[in-house]
Amino acid sequence: MSAEPQFDELIHPSTRLSIVALLAAADWVDFAFVRDSLGLSDSALSKQFATLEGADYIAIERPLADRRRRVHVRLTDTGRSAFEGHVAALREIVASVDG
Amino acid sequence: MSKSVGASDARSALTAVEYSRQQVIAEIDMPRWYWLGLAAGWIGIGVIADVGPGWLFAAATLAFGATHAAVAQNVLSGRRRSSALSVRAELVGTRVPALVIGLLVGLSVLTVVAALLIDADGADHPATIAGVMAAIAVALGGPELMAAVRRRALRNAAR
Repeated sequence: MSAEPQFDELIHPSTRLSIVALLAAADWVDFAFVRDSLGLSDSALSKQFATLEGADYIAIERPLADRRRRVHVRLTDTGRSAFEGHVAALREIVASVDG
Repeated sequence: MSKSVGASDARSALTAVEYSRQQVIAEIDMPRWYWLGLAAGWIGIGVIADVGPGWLFAAATLAFGATHAAVAQNVLSGRRRSSALSVRAELVGTRVPALVIGLLVGLSVLTVVAALLIDADGADHPATIAGVMAAIAVALGGPELMAAVRRRALRNAAR
């Protein structure tokens, strides 16, 4: 990860950061996996997803072939770039103190 | 806002990022049914080799190989243990299919050698006995191999 440091206020809140970090490590993640991993309710997670989707950071897809009404969520290129920049900014903050 | 974020907050955020990544890495695996199916197939072919005609053994071996080739292409990467997510390829690495195929080829050779040795020893049903031994090795060794892949992914992610 060698992105330009760019602190992102949208991503930084802890719940949203955990969501984006989870998505960043995967091609796509099922809604239920994110919900269960973070211990969130459906509505709380949907609210976070709506915010991230509004910023074009994530894409929400419903695979037509899957009859179990699964919802796949993936990070967009914009979201991935923002996440990598944010992590670089966090590392820069830590490094500036550690020397 | 970045100016107001202290090092402690930034460190906590990075820890959360790392924890999320580890949750995804923990999902690197192959479905349990894959290993169990392989083990069952190994025993089945051993039994057929002992009690069935030669043509049936050849047909069963070919069918087993073809079925494995069809099934394995969806699971060999280790990125799709379940339908919950697909782990990014860069986290898993590209060596998993080669490792698994290597394990299977090695076990195939060992199964034949073991069957020949057991036969030379005069035991009944040497191929079945060798097949059961290989099946146990697959059922135990397969998941262990994937655990090693996960440990390696964790080490790489921490760098």
